[in-house]
Amino acid sequence: MISRTLQIVMLFAVAVYFVLLLLLLKKRSLHLKYTLLWIFSGILMLVLAVFPHLLDWFAALIGIYEPTNALFSLIFFCVIMILMSLTAIVSKLNEKNKQLAQVVALLEQRVRELEKEK
Amino acid sequence: MKVLVIVPAYNEEQNILKTIRDIQKSGPESIQYLVINDCSTDKTKSVLRQAEANYLDLPINLGIGGGVQTGYRYALEYGYDIAIQFDGDGQHDAQYLQDLIAPIERGEADVVIGSRFLEKEGFQSTGLRRLGINFLSGLIHLLCGVKVRDVTSGMRAVNRSMIERFAADYAQDYPEPEAILAAGLAGAKIVEVPVQMRERQGGVSSINPVRSVYYMIKVSLALILFRLMYGREAKNDQ
Repeated sequence: MISRTLQIVMLFAVAVYFVLLLLLLKKRSLHLKYTLLWIFSGILMLVLAVFPHLLDWFAALIGIYEPTNALFSLIFFCVIMILMSLTAIVSKLNEKNKQLAQVVALLEQRVRELEKEK
Repeated sequence: MKVLVIVPAYNEEQNILKTIRDIQKSGPESIQYLVINDCSTDKTKSVLRQAEANYLDLPINLGIGGGVQTGYRYALEYGYDIAIQFDGDGQHDAQYLQDLIAPIERGEADVVIGSRFLEKEGFQSTGLRRLGINFLSGLIHLLCGVKVRDVTSGMRAVNRSMIERFAADYAQDYPEPEAILAAGLAGAKIVEVPVQMRERQGGVSSINPVRSVYYMIKVSLALILFRLMYGREAKNDQ
């Protein structure tokens, strides 16, 4: 069982987390598509803060002695998932960026040749 | 057959015009060339413009893989039958262009690689680098069953079907060995022809010892991953 203090801190932290997330969304500096993982992680933390017994159950399930350590590993897992999705997004962006540069170069050459013909 | 020589160039203001002249003088007559200026920071672009050379000017630096792929896209768009990669740094000699084309014209190969190590003449690279190249050669042999000696050679010719393939998808990070593996896994017929290369004539090489070791590790990993992820395509024997 995690301490009452930690539970309160968690609730507070999750609240700040969601306010920040919503602010960024509202300002449109975050795409909803890329925020889903953040929102899922937040919901997970919220559920755990409200029902801390879940942590005891989960810790016992995967063989962790301290429920707080189970909490850390869950947070760690969420962070890794978000990082992986970020790498995937960057890779996709990189590919699109490359294709754009190539098309621009091909078009620029074509324009140059057309101007020469005039 | 329409033949295009793709010349990737990054900061080659001293060598690029020599390379172009070499291609026009020593290459087969009907041959055309295309320089890919990969966002050079020196005067490569103005040199090309003043000479009214045929060149593409990439707006951002894509690296050798992305640059060469742009050349393949050009070859595809303008209906070339054969595309040849030919370095813009003066290491390659245009008198071998015909040798590279010949096996494709005879229909004996899909990919032809100019190899320094078949007749062991000309600039042979240093001992350690040779060791690395031999290791990569063995690794590629293991991964796709194709034996290529000079896997890092940037002098290579491909036929129309490989142009289509490379225009759509070309290795970005370590393109020379990875492209051979990709072609081998696709069931392409790969042939090596003997060529001689020169040492760099000017400019600065992008290779140093620490980077070379790092390069070897990264390339090996990339090749193994490539094999594991994409596997072999169904082989059609004819």
